[in-house]
Amino acid sequence: MKTEQSRRIQIAILTALGIAAALSLALPQLLRGAKREQLLSLTVMLRDTDSSGWTVARQGMEQAADELGAELRFLTLAAAGDSEEQEALLLREIEDGAAALVVVPADPESLSAALDPWRVVCPTVTLESPMEGAAGVVAPDNTQLGKELAQALLEDWDGGEVLLLDTAGRCSGVAARLAAAEETLIAAGVSVRREMELPEEPPRWVMAFESPVTRRAAERREAEGQDFALYGVGSAAAVTAQLERGNIAAIAAWSDYAAGFLAVRRAVNAVRGREGTLAPLPFFILREEDIYAPENQKLLFPIMSSSSR
Amino acid sequence: MNVFRRLAAQWGERYRKMSIQMVLSLSFTAVAAAGMLLMSVSLIWRSSAANEQLVAENSRRVLAQANLNLDIYLRRMMRISDTVYYRSIKNMDLAEDDLTGDLSLLYEENRDDLVSLAVFDGTGALVSAVPLTALKRDAAPADSDWFRDAARSMENLHFSTPHVQNIFDDPDYPYRWVVSLSRHVQLTRDGATEGGVLLVDMSFNGIEQVCRDVTLGNGGYLYLIDGDGELIYHPRQQLIYAGLLEENNRAAAEYRDGSYQETFQGQSRQVTIKTVGYTGWKLVGVAPAVSWLSVSPQIPLFGLTLLLFSIFLMAFLNFRISARISDPILRLERSIRELDRGLAGVKIEEEGGCYEVQRLSHAVASMVSTMRHLMDDIVRQEGQKRRSELEVLQSQINPHFLYNTLDSVIWMTESGQQQEAIQMVTSLARLFRISLSKGKSIIPLADELEHARHYMNIQQIRFKNRFTTEIAAKPGAKELYTLKLIVQPLLENAIYHGMASAEDDGVIRVTAYREGEDLLIDVEDNGLGMRPELAASLLDEDRPEVRTRGSGIGVRNVHQRVSLTFGEGYGLTIFSEPDEGTLVRIRLPALDREEAERRQQGEEL
Repeated sequence: MKTEQSRRIQIAILTALGIAAALSLALPQLLRGAKREQLLSLTVMLRDTDSSGWTVARQGMEQAADELGAELRFLTLAAAGDSEEQEALLLREIEDGAAALVVVPADPESLSAALDPWRVVCPTVTLESPMEGAAGVVAPDNTQLGKELAQALLEDWDGGEVLLLDTAGRCSGVAARLAAAEETLIAAGVSVRREMELPEEPPRWVMAFESPVTRRAAERREAEGQDFALYGVGSAAAVTAQLERGNIAAIAAWSDYAAGFLAVRRAVNAVRGREGTLAPLPFFILREEDIYAPENQKLLFPIMSSSSR
Repeated sequence: MNVFRRLAAQWGERYRKMSIQMVLSLSFTAVAAAGMLLMSVSLIWRSSAANEQLVAENSRRVLAQANLNLDIYLRRMMRISDTVYYRSIKNMDLAEDDLTGDLSLLYEENRDDLVSLAVFDGTGALVSAVPLTALKRDAAPADSDWFRDAARSMENLHFSTPHVQNIFDDPDYPYRWVVSLSRHVQLTRDGATEGGVLLVDMSFNGIEQVCRDVTLGNGGYLYLIDGDGELIYHPRQQLIYAGLLEENNRAAAEYRDGSYQETFQGQSRQVTIKTVGYTGWKLVGVAPAVSWLSVSPQIPLFGLTLLLFSIFLMAFLNFRISARISDPILRLERSIRELDRGLAGVKIEEEGGCYEVQRLSHAVASMVSTMRHLMDDIVRQEGQKRRSELEVLQSQINPHFLYNTLDSVIWMTESGQQQEAIQMVTSLARLFRISLSKGKSIIPLADELEHARHYMNIQQIRFKNRFTTEIAAKPGAKELYTLKLIVQPLLENAIYHGMASAEDDGVIRVTAYREGEDLLIDVEDNGLGMRPELAASLLDEDRPEVRTRGSGIGVRNVHQRVSLTFGEGYGLTIFSEPDEGTLVRIRLPALDREEAERRQQGEEL
């Protein structure tokens, strides 16, 4: 009787092992199929009306999406900085099944409140400005950036009022740069003035804290033949060209490619439940003579792969 | 050390308690598993080595092809440079001729691969250039690496690492990445020669296209470095430039052509190097170790499952085989143990299984059979001996009976009762004759009853007819045979026990009749009788043997003789009630003449 029972147990285990062997053959095929189905749909939302200034960042995002199995959907606003439109578009994207959002928030506080109910099902990663409840923020240390840009100005400053272009609106990241620069300049005994737009007769020293604002100020300087010293931010080709042409005295630049890549990678990881922290992006203060240094070339002029054009 | 000793002792103890089947199964399985494991490790090791070689060979082949494509591309660029130099510059006097037309033609022919063509004099001043014809306001070509390399090593062509060409004034500021091919040239101006530099800016895309689609499979990739390890092409180049990824390019620059194992950022990988002719650039093929150690993630899992399955299959087979060997031995051992416990009827089967086991079981069965025969013989001999003793005992004439009978004959002769004396002597003679019966133990029933009748004749004379005797055999019983001298002891018992107080009204009745296959002889008296429990105890073998008249020993002897002769089912049964009488029933097999003779012959043998 005991022998018969042992024999039955042996046959049962043999059968189980046989099934396990067959499963071990089939399982990877099934998993591969499942993996193929796990292509994540990510929405990238800017706060501008066009994405031309984000070309390099988009390259980085697409590189990350390609490596991590995600597809991207880029959206811009009808009116720059329209936080209400941005919120509405993002909520629609969530309802349409977006797995995660990568956002340059027009109004981080308002957007945080709007997205709060969806925080768990659809994580959000922000660019430029931090946002409460976001899975991460990809941005340089805005306060430090503002300070160092002001220091660059102070190196050249020989007297006179400094105009700070206050275009931040509700964008906390830009506001932090402006506030830090203002504080540094005031601490150095420099008289500062905030203006929302570049006046007809700007003072000798002007600071801008957004890439498009910097570009536009530089273009106006060149077009109107003005001679104010412009200190701005951004690494877009148009900004760099203005730096090279002498219309910008110094810029605070960082790798948009890295920013885009890190934002999408963090978003995908958040969807897949992987914890992680994002360090502030390193930035550099560049002047005209620094542009073609080998390391700065790599930072400012990403290699545009022929396959991605 | 003590732990090992203790474990060894425990194992030894378990081993001693193990069945032969378990020992065989475990031993065979352990040896087979060890063998399979060794073989698997050997196969994996050999397979890994073979895979490694295969991957290296594959990498070398792919790199050779990539090198060929790159070489073709670079030679084409060099031919463009040669064409500009040997067909245009060498044949022109710059004071009279314009180089721009020739450069434009060449540029238009190769515009997909070229960014610019330019000629500079020895000071770095632009002589001619296409498609852009002016330098930036503060451009300093003479300070560029490609210019210095050309000026330093005049006889060679020099390939730069990728860089953004920044000397030409382009209103669009496109910031194109190029690889600059530069060489020292001899310019002729007003008949005089002077040094200069010819620059061919190759589009980086040309090199990228050559390298981009080259893959090594399973996560392997290819990248291109210059002799110093500076990155020229990498499939994730911008990630490296952005500081998000690192590559071991500096170490790769130190390798000669061939395949190497390296560990980079904790990952083991195989690196294959192929130097691109002339430029000194190196193509580097990287195959992560995981790609050739485990072609697919399920392979180790499947291998493990297969190994376990094989081991278990082996164990199962071993179990079956060892069971086939040991089961017959176990059954044999069980039978012997039961035999040892004295279980009657235990049969030693001749087991199947291996030849040795068959021989052993046959020998044991034969031995047991012999032993049983011997034991049966002993039992039979003992029974026969006992029966003989009882027969001898019963065939002996009681001296008292003989004395009393002879005394009665004397008395009757003296008293003139001649006829009665003759009758008594005649009955005594007949009694003796039947007692002898030629030494046979089984005699016709008629003779036995005759013997009883003569005995009763004598006793009736002696007891002055205080009882009457009726001896009869019913039809169907007369011709049967019976054991000799079994009725007379019962009659004697009836007389001395039952008729002790009879006064002319005693009756002793002997009736023989057939019941089925049995012969029954009832000896019945109407004497004192006895309690049923006493009657039952008369035949008890454990009853103390008291040789007194009426003790019942004669009855018990008859019972034992019948039982010993014919088996347990035969013998005496006593029915008795106080003051009612006693019936002693003898049960015998109904033997006909032939059967009686056969049994007689069997006993004599």
